[in-house]
Amino acid sequence: MANITLGRYIPLDSPIHRMDPRAKILAMLLVLIAIFFPAGWLGYAIIFVAASAVIIIARLSFSFIWRAMKPMLFMLVFLFVINSFLLKTGDPLLTIGSFTLYSDAVFQTLYIAVRLLLMVMITTCLTATTKPLDMTLGIEDLLKPFQKIHVPAHEIAMLISIALRFIPDLIDETERIIKAQESRGVDLKEGKIMERIMAILSLIVPLFVSAFQRAEDLANAMEARGYSPGEERTRYKVLKMEGRDYVLLAGAAALLACMVWLAYFR
Amino acid sequence: MPISFEHVSYIYSKGTPYEYTALKDVCLDIEEGKITAIIGQTGSGKSTLVQHLNALLLPEEGTVHILDRAITASEKPKQLKSLRGDVGLVFQFPEYQLFEETVLKDVAFGPKNFGASEEEAKKRAIHALELVGLSDKYCERSPLELSGGQKRRVAIAGILAMDPKVLVLDEPTAGLDPKGTEAMMTLFHDLNRKHGKTVLIVTHDMEQVFRYCDNVVVMEDGKVRTHTNVESFFRDPAACRDMNILPPALIRMKEMLKENGFDIPEDVLSTAALADCIARQVKNHG
Repeated sequence: MANITLGRYIPLDSPIHRMDPRAKILAMLLVLIAIFFPAGWLGYAIIFVAASAVIIIARLSFSFIWRAMKPMLFMLVFLFVINSFLLKTGDPLLTIGSFTLYSDAVFQTLYIAVRLLLMVMITTCLTATTKPLDMTLGIEDLLKPFQKIHVPAHEIAMLISIALRFIPDLIDETERIIKAQESRGVDLKEGKIMERIMAILSLIVPLFVSAFQRAEDLANAMEARGYSPGEERTRYKVLKMEGRDYVLLAGAAALLACMVWLAYFR
Repeated sequence: MPISFEHVSYIYSKGTPYEYTALKDVCLDIEEGKITAIIGQTGSGKSTLVQHLNALLLPEEGTVHILDRAITASEKPKQLKSLRGDVGLVFQFPEYQLFEETVLKDVAFGPKNFGASEEEAKKRAIHALELVGLSDKYCERSPLELSGGQKRRVAIAGILAMDPKVLVLDEPTAGLDPKGTEAMMTLFHDLNRKHGKTVLIVTHDMEQVFRYCDNVVVMEDGKVRTHTNVESFFRDPAACRDMNILPPALIRMKEMLKENGFDIPEDVLSTAALADCIARQVKNHG
């Protein structure tokens, strides 16, 4: 469970880590939008190179990206199977009995695989280099303009930061409960249906109980310190955009423009 | 056949940036039929060590021998189930493992998993609840509505009902009131003395080590720093302090008396004996 890599912050010191979270979030959004333009293989190659450069500057390893990608592989295999039965366009590549595999099925799947890989790369660039707390500060600031139309920016940010804060705790808690129940003879890997339902139940009930307990404790602790959601508040950490943040944004915008051009105007 | 660790190492999150070596080449023999305390600072590897005893963690390197079984990196989980029944492990704050509708069902959950019949499991559950001092009026209550101390007892009963040969307790009295602590420690002492169970207790409380345990293992930075019997361990308070361990009150009292010119023999190890000793010397002096 501790091996979940998707969305995990990696505490390193790099120029990317030191950037303003707002710039990083905006840049990520721009590039994510860019991925969805049908810019062809050349477009994806450009994004791949750009994302790789960011990963290298951030001193992240590619094996880390690969591990984040792994859980998606099952989905891709599934997709490939479906595609190979449904997509009957393009050139026939392979025939086994009455089943023929067409090139479009392969390319469609590959296309989605590449997009997925790029998305994982881009989002990992953000999540692995931004402390969850900085991320919520960034989100809060970015949502500020929408407060005029009654979007509760601060509350949303607080919600997200609390949710993020509890993820590692709940993972630890789950591991602890698994171990505790395994010590009582629970076998999570095999057994009859009834035994397995019992095994799952023996995890879920304590997990819920402790999650609610934690939520209540946190709410009490916040109230005890005078937290009131609507209040105007100042910040200990004030975000400030610097030169390199504008460079990143400009780069992301250029990438998006490039994809649009590749997709529609070439 | 003692419980033994042979060159055991354990690494958490191996191959990730979070890699952390919790045990480093640990060699340790734990006597059967005794109460052994495992002490050491937070992060010294105590909890990691005890989780090897019922193979929740498999050693990265080395072998753990326990109850005629050898646990190595490649031990398959299938052979482990009977081990888990024989080595009862009580985690820190075990009350979080309660989940059944009634106390009785929860305590009977363990024995049933290890193949006891419904009847047998219930019988053992009632017996275990008696041991931890909960009468049968608690049997039909929901474990979730009990007080913290009672939940703890139910959780410990859940392990005792499995009737393990080796009982491993990770800070079993943390957060209990003094009376509850006393009752728990007396129970573990009885289980050892009357029922011959091997007991291992992870603890931070030196008074408990001093009063209830036979042997003591000091963990430090993933290694065994000291392993000796409790009596000789506290004979040298300076060495204890050197390991950041505050000796129990009685030992500190003896120390202070000695500094002030009293002659206290080494074998004075109870409050009553110490009081006698002081009284005798004061009388002789006057």
